[in-house]
Amino acid sequence: MQVGSVGSDAREIARAGDFVRFDKVEKSYDGRTLVVRQLDLLVARGEFLTLLGPSGSGKTTTLMMLAGFETPTRGLITLEGRDITRVPPHKRGLGMVFQNYALFPHMSVRENLAFPLEVRGVSRAEIGERVTRALDMVRLGKLGDRRPGQLSGGQQQRIALARALVFEPKLVLMDEPLGALDKQLREHMQYEIKHLHERLGVTVVYVTHDQGEALTMSDRVAVFNDGRIQQIDRPRTIYEHPDTAFVAQFIGENNKVDGTVTALGVGEATVTTAAGQAIRAEAGPGLSLGGRALVSLRPERLSLAHGADAVANHFPGTVVETIYHGDHLRVRLEALGRDDFVVKAPVSGSEALVPGRTVDIGWRVADGRALPIETPA
Amino acid sequence: MSHAPSTLTERVARIALVVSAIAVLVFLVAPILAILPLSVNDSEFLTYPMRGWTTRWYESVFASEKWRLAVMNSFLIGIPATVIATVLGTLASIGLAMADFRGKAAISALILSPLVVPIVIVAVGLYFFFAPLGLTQTYTGLIVAHAALGAPFVVVTVSAALASFDRNLARAAASLGAPPVTVFRRVMLPILAPGVASGALFAFAASFDEVVTVMLLGAPHQRTIPREMFSGLRDSFNPTIAAVATLLTVLAVALLLVVEALRLRAERLKTRAGD
Amino acid sequence: MDRDVDLAKDLKRAERRRRMTALALIAPLFLFLMASFVAPIVDMLRRSVVDTELAEVWPATAAAVKHWQPGAAAPDALYAALGADLKASAEARTIAIAARRLNYALPNGRSLVLNTGRALRADDTAPASWRDRLIGLDPAWGEPATLVALQQASGPATDFYLLTAVDMERDTAGAIVQRPAQQSLYLQVLGRTLMISLVVTLVCLLLGFPLSYLVANAPARTGNLLMILVLLPFWTSLLVRSAAWIVLLQDQGVVNGALQALGITDGPIRMIFNRTGVVIAMTHVLLPFMIMPMIATMKSIPPTYMRAAVSLGAHPAVAFVRVYLPQTVPGVAAGALLVFIMALGYYVTPALVGGAEDQMLAYFIAFYTTSSANWGLAAALGVILLGATMILYLVYARLAGMGQVKLG
Ligand SMILES: Nc1ncnc2c1ncn2[C@@H]1O[C@H](COP(=O)(O)OP(=O)(O)O)[C@@H](O)[C@H]1O
Ligand SMILES: [Mg+2]
Repeated sequence: MQVGSVGSDAREIARAGDFVRFDKVEKSYDGRTLVVRQLDLLVARGEFLTLLGPSGSGKTTTLMMLAGFETPTRGLITLEGRDITRVPPHKRGLGMVFQNYALFPHMSVRENLAFPLEVRGVSRAEIGERVTRALDMVRLGKLGDRRPGQLSGGQQQRIALARALVFEPKLVLMDEPLGALDKQLREHMQYEIKHLHERLGVTVVYVTHDQGEALTMSDRVAVFNDGRIQQIDRPRTIYEHPDTAFVAQFIGENNKVDGTVTALGVGEATVTTAAGQAIRAEAGPGLSLGGRALVSLRPERLSLAHGADAVANHFPGTVVETIYHGDHLRVRLEALGRDDFVVKAPVSGSEALVPGRTVDIGWRVADGRALPIETPA
Repeated sequence: MSHAPSTLTERVARIALVVSAIAVLVFLVAPILAILPLSVNDSEFLTYPMRGWTTRWYESVFASEKWRLAVMNSFLIGIPATVIATVLGTLASIGLAMADFRGKAAISALILSPLVVPIVIVAVGLYFFFAPLGLTQTYTGLIVAHAALGAPFVVVTVSAALASFDRNLARAAASLGAPPVTVFRRVMLPILAPGVASGALFAFAASFDEVVTVMLLGAPHQRTIPREMFSGLRDSFNPTIAAVATLLTVLAVALLLVVEALRLRAERLKTRAGD
Repeated sequence: MDRDVDLAKDLKRAERRRRMTALALIAPLFLFLMASFVAPIVDMLRRSVVDTELAEVWPATAAAVKHWQPGAAAPDALYAALGADLKASAEARTIAIAARRLNYALPNGRSLVLNTGRALRADDTAPASWRDRLIGLDPAWGEPATLVALQQASGPATDFYLLTAVDMERDTAGAIVQRPAQQSLYLQVLGRTLMISLVVTLVCLLLGFPLSYLVANAPARTGNLLMILVLLPFWTSLLVRSAAWIVLLQDQGVVNGALQALGITDGPIRMIFNRTGVVIAMTHVLLPFMIMPMIATMKSIPPTYMRAAVSLGAHPAVAFVRVYLPQTVPGVAAGALLVFIMALGYYVTPALVGGAEDQMLAYFIAFYTTSSANWGLAAALGVILLGATMILYLVYARLAGMGQVKLG
């Protein structure tokens, strides 16, 4: 058993592109409940991978195991094929950005940046040069002599970033690095981090609970729930083709209509509601004929245009209220047995959408996704 | 409160509050100030009004073998006691903050209890306990006693500093490649230093003002400043005592300002990024 | 799978190592305090029940008197032992120890023992009956009270000191009874100690509240300055402050001068070396301990609560009493308990600014240790003082939480 597993490990690790690898990793803090369960995760060299999930889903724990601040209860973590499960953090050579930045308050900005180079025994002259370069990289060259306490939140963020990059690690970990910033600054920093990633070619594992952040920044997103990865894929796939009801619900807005699978074809399913209305939708994984399913419908993929006969699904709905959002109109309707059915409609030509009016809601097969209803594990 | 038109009773209440608070402040501070001028009063009596200016009371303090010995004794006991209390107290605080284990609450209660156990009990206990060990009337005995009394001050201040220490700083240092010893030396210690220093000052002040153990355990040649003050106040209260009191007050103000400065410094270090 | 087990074991081991490191860091201080603080106190408390003095100088008597039943006639053997011990200890010059010990329990015990010893030392003839010989020297030797005192002093343990510390004793039948009034002292001292502590606590509370409120609600800069003024007495030597109060409150002092100048009194009022002086000086010493926890608590009360209450229609006074005051209770209680605990054990201040009638428990403990060498009684009074302190300390620890103990 032991010999076998080592052999298979070696073979797996040799696979191209495997930079970081989690192999059946589990973590329990109290010896009873598992905070991370059976985690298998591959990170490719140079990619930007985001761990996304609600609070308490185990993202930070996963990141801390990779950084070496927590030890897995079971399983194996490798970096470039080397088992690092028991390597202490300071020997892993990973850059890390913390949510509250963790800049050393008693050191100046330059001293903070010099720290990782000093502990690596880099020469004085080179330290000065590299620190200056790193400060220029985040465009804060003039603030080198300040203390962290004298900087704004955004500036501290950038210094933390520069400090994590100054020693040129191959892998950088970030745990909700933008969580303490206001919305505008956060969006600005998202681009800045993204550009740094592209320019330096460094591998990034990024933790957030903000789906917008995850979708805009990442090459791939791993959606966490309850210690498990629900789905891991490119942002567009995660958004448009969610594999589970949880992913559909956690990312983006959606209308959920539940019913029974009455037909199951190649890539397409028909779900019939309790009231007998049959909906045709793209089939997600794990559906079974006669099983319970829900259809997830994105509000922006639905149309209220008259003459929607051209599409596969159209059902009547009664307008309950409309809310003006500037660039679009949110229309709440009674439809398909729900009174919270939401459709995003263009503002122009919406004069007819007055409460009480019955309208036609239509969408294509590919705009709805049928997913099995999860039975609690 | 100022934005709303306040009622008469509110205004009266506010004025009464400020007046009574100021009266209490005067009660706290004025007596200490009242004794200072008498140290330069050209009179044998410790009464006002002042009779004229003199430095002879200070001269007699500085010329006195008794006070020279007392100053020496105070430092001879206070400094080693402070060093012991600071080292042991700092280590124990780090241990207490490090892990949870059964009996931790009891241990910390015990470590802090010298703060509240009446000093007479400690002194009498040591008086009996030291006798067969030959430690009564020795500097060692007094240093040990004062170290025990000072250690909880260090534990309190260092524990407070540790409680507000951001664990992520240590993690950040490790992630940047610093081995544990470097993390402790370059990150934890500098940030905890103000807490350690003020703990040490508290411990020193406690030893520097302690009479009862010196009275029970000390030999005649081991009298400290407060011990001489105690005798002076009981037997021959004269203006040299006022002169010593003035010097002690100056020292107290200096200690107070240093500790306040340390506190402000610790607070600045504590202000975390983004907060 | 072996690897899983290994990891789980590793984890446990790492945790254990962490705990061991923590204990190793705590151990030096813990052991130091055990040796220099806990052991001496326990040893002292032990002395409140240990009673071996008499048995050491009069071993035969101590052994013989154990068999005697109070109320029964004393056997000749007891008198023989007593006579031999008296004579031997008189010759060995250890008789003073026995005399001192018996004197605690017996009025005139010292002179009884010393006079008898002197007479026996002068006379080398062995008497036919030690009973007749001793009673002939002093009839007190025949009294049951003397034998009871002997028996109670025969050791090795006694409740004599503890009973004395609460003005009780055992009568000739061995029952616990109140001491006669002229020999009663300690309940009064205990009552005085509690009373002074209580008054000082209340005065501190009264004076501390408005000042704490002002400091807590002042703008940061003013607040810091006020705080320094509050802390100044905290750092100033206890001796300096006692000296200051003596100067201020003496008959020719500033306060009396002012009162007379204002025509409030004709002659000086006595304010020092009496209870008034003790309360004033102790209040001054302990007030910072009251104020600091109160300020901390008041600073943590957001002003929005008061505003909310007023916006809901409460009169500001009502809002203050119903909304603000209840939230100050933790700080007030912590401060008051701390002041009371510290006041209980005070020695220096009452000794310097109080009169004979104002000395507290701590004074008598020191007195019986050094001046009269009645160590058993000193220890018994120590038991009472330490007991009261520890009970209140536990209440305080529970109330404030050990982590809450703060300085400055
Ligand atoms: N040091 C710890 N000790 C015990 N439980 C922890 C610890 N850290 C996290 N947890 C628990 O583990 C779960 C996952 O936490 P975390 O990894 O921080 O989630 P996330 O970062 O996704 O919010 C939570 O239920 C949390 O309470
Ligand atoms: Mg987290």
